[in-house]
Amino acid sequence: MGKVLIANRGEIAVRIIRACHELGLETVAVYAKSDADSMHVKMANQAICIGGNTSTESYLNKNNVLSAAIASGCDYIHPGYGFLSENADFASMVEDCAIQFVGPKSKTITAMGDKANARKMAKQAGVPIIEGSDGDIENVVNAIEWANKIGFPIIIKAVSGGGGRGMRICHNDTDVKNAFEKVQLEASASFGDSRLYMERYIASPRHIEIQVIADTHGHVVSLFERDCSLQRRHQKMVEEATSPIISEITRKKLNNAAIKLAKNIEYVNAGTLEFLVDDKENFYFIEMNTRIQVEHPVTEMITGVDLVKEQLLVAMGKPLSFKQTDLKVNGHAIECRILAENPKLDFRPSPGLIKNISLPGGLGIRVDTHLYAGYQIPPYFDSMIAKLIVHGKTREEAIKKMQIALREFAIEGIDTNIEYLYVLMHNKDFNAGKYDTSFFERFRYLLTGDKA
Amino acid sequence: MNFLDVHKKQLEAATKKRMDLNLQTPVDIPEGVFVQCSNCQAALYEKVLKKNQHVCPVCQNHFRIDAKTRLEYTVDEGSFEAMFQNILSTNPLHMPGYEEKLIQAQKTTQINEAFVCGKASIVGYPCAIGILDSHFMMGSMGSVVGEKVTRLIEFATKENMPLIIFSASGGARMQEGILSLMQMAKTSAALKRHDDMGGLFISVMTHPTTGGVAASFASLGDYHIAEMSSLIGFAGPRVIKQTIREELPEGFQTAEFQQQSGQVDIVLHRQDIRKTLFQLLKFHQKVLYDSL
Repeated sequence: MGKVLIANRGEIAVRIIRACHELGLETVAVYAKSDADSMHVKMANQAICIGGNTSTESYLNKNNVLSAAIASGCDYIHPGYGFLSENADFASMVEDCAIQFVGPKSKTITAMGDKANARKMAKQAGVPIIEGSDGDIENVVNAIEWANKIGFPIIIKAVSGGGGRGMRICHNDTDVKNAFEKVQLEASASFGDSRLYMERYIASPRHIEIQVIADTHGHVVSLFERDCSLQRRHQKMVEEATSPIISEITRKKLNNAAIKLAKNIEYVNAGTLEFLVDDKENFYFIEMNTRIQVEHPVTEMITGVDLVKEQLLVAMGKPLSFKQTDLKVNGHAIECRILAENPKLDFRPSPGLIKNISLPGGLGIRVDTHLYAGYQIPPYFDSMIAKLIVHGKTREEAIKKMQIALREFAIEGIDTNIEYLYVLMHNKDFNAGKYDTSFFERFRYLLTGDKA
Repeated sequence: MNFLDVHKKQLEAATKKRMDLNLQTPVDIPEGVFVQCSNCQAALYEKVLKKNQHVCPVCQNHFRIDAKTRLEYTVDEGSFEAMFQNILSTNPLHMPGYEEKLIQAQKTTQINEAFVCGKASIVGYPCAIGILDSHFMMGSMGSVVGEKVTRLIEFATKENMPLIIFSASGGARMQEGILSLMQMAKTSAALKRHDDMGGLFISVMTHPTTGGVAASFASLGDYHIAEMSSLIGFAGPRVIKQTIREELPEGFQTAEFQQQSGQVDIVLHRQDIRKTLFQLLKFHQKVLYDSL
């Protein structure tokens, strides 16, 4: 029927190989020397070594990955996430060699990869973005003009600022008048650059993303949202579908906005539109990920759609196997990222030998992993070693299941964040769904007692 | 043998068969998608190579480019206006086969002579610009190239405009004999008049700048810029080696070598040339002096 090269490693390579085999497709794994014992190498019909130990020498080496696909006569290349998944040059190379890239067209990747351009396209599609001053603000009069144009509350920021300094939130004209010169002074004193700009301020933002998938026959379907607000240093840790805070009306609005934008850019295959949602449920488009995402299983659990399988079917030119009206939210799903990191030592990576492993199980428990007892985790790659996904009728049930699953999850030989996640699942604020992107700063205080 | 062992054996045999690369038909890659670097042999994706201004991203080998591409990388988009395009070569010495060679060169390069010139702007700064195309009879200088260079210089002098010439040439055009050699004197004299009027001339030497071109206008600039790893000199290294019967030092006649000898002021990566030209033009803008 066809042959697919999986240009990735770890749990996602395993996940894609499973979907390929389900569809009767042959698989070719590629691997770095340091990954010779990896699960995806053992599972694929064929495996080709594409270079040294590090990702630059192997999974990021476009020529080597493509050469492997050419030599083994592949019809498709699935890039997974990370590595070459959003590399427009690679996608274009694959297209030119008449191999089907399991993802959007290279020109779509280029268009959405440029943030300013993506914002422009969103604006054209009538999707709200975070309004800001296009460039520097010269003086107070100018600042007030901009503030009224953007709409309060606004935040004034130093162009060369960062780390929370050189910024001020303003709620009205008087605030702007008072703050402007102060921020300017602060900026020139701290950064030697007094230039300021302004954008709309979003209070306690939630990171909410919409999964879409589109086929080559013009169908675009939205698979509802995922809430990924629990982030540590911009790294997502826990994701859930659906979001515990947004209302049915906002959900509908978000889905419509996502479909409209995807249709406008003639998007094909699976993609994710990221939004910031403020405490009044106003939403703003930030960027689009033109690939499958780490947290796609939570969407699969609540919709019953196998996203990777659909991706492959779309790449084959087939229409989607379902319509928007076939979809409805079924229960609640949560995913925890299991990392080989030690939370007590400032999340230091902990590669090494897996001496023993025991995975949790039961109804509504899913583990996506490439681990097995005796596997040596190489130090060259990302520290994510497994994804634990639970599905319950309600959010409460899902959390309960997650608590039990984490308790059952045992890995010997390396340090993991399982215990940390276990504590998190018992946190009062998390259980109440009251969290935003700055949650971990407060959570850290709860655990250790020292302030950030 | 129990069930499991049989199953395992069957699996192993099937895997072995699949892993045999000889049994697989590789994908056909269309022509022109990949280009091989002549220096490091790396397979380069054509579109990426273009984005990198035809410089190998692996070993920084500068590929030869034609006049049109050079303009694209150097001047503001759409600012170039070609001049003196109506001057065409004839065969004054009745050299056999010269006409055919000219027609062939015109066909393959889509330009009518080895020198493309006109006016353009670089980041808004106007200049007279000329480019020798090494794809056209090795960018050799015959009467027409010499005449076009001279007219461009005279245009720059008259219009009080800075002048930039990119040279890439094997030298004087053999088929026009002594007439080609006379171009060296003509272009040099025109440059002297340009200089007397206070005109600026930036000479950019690209691979290769040799012979009569190196020995005339290319070496008479106020600034001598050389593109990285270009061959610059009068006679080629092979000729010199055969004449003096001595081993030549390593890197002989490269741009870097000529910089050490004082022949070249600065050696630039192709991607830095436009920026540097802009800085020089800005620094030398006439308006500045007039307003003082």
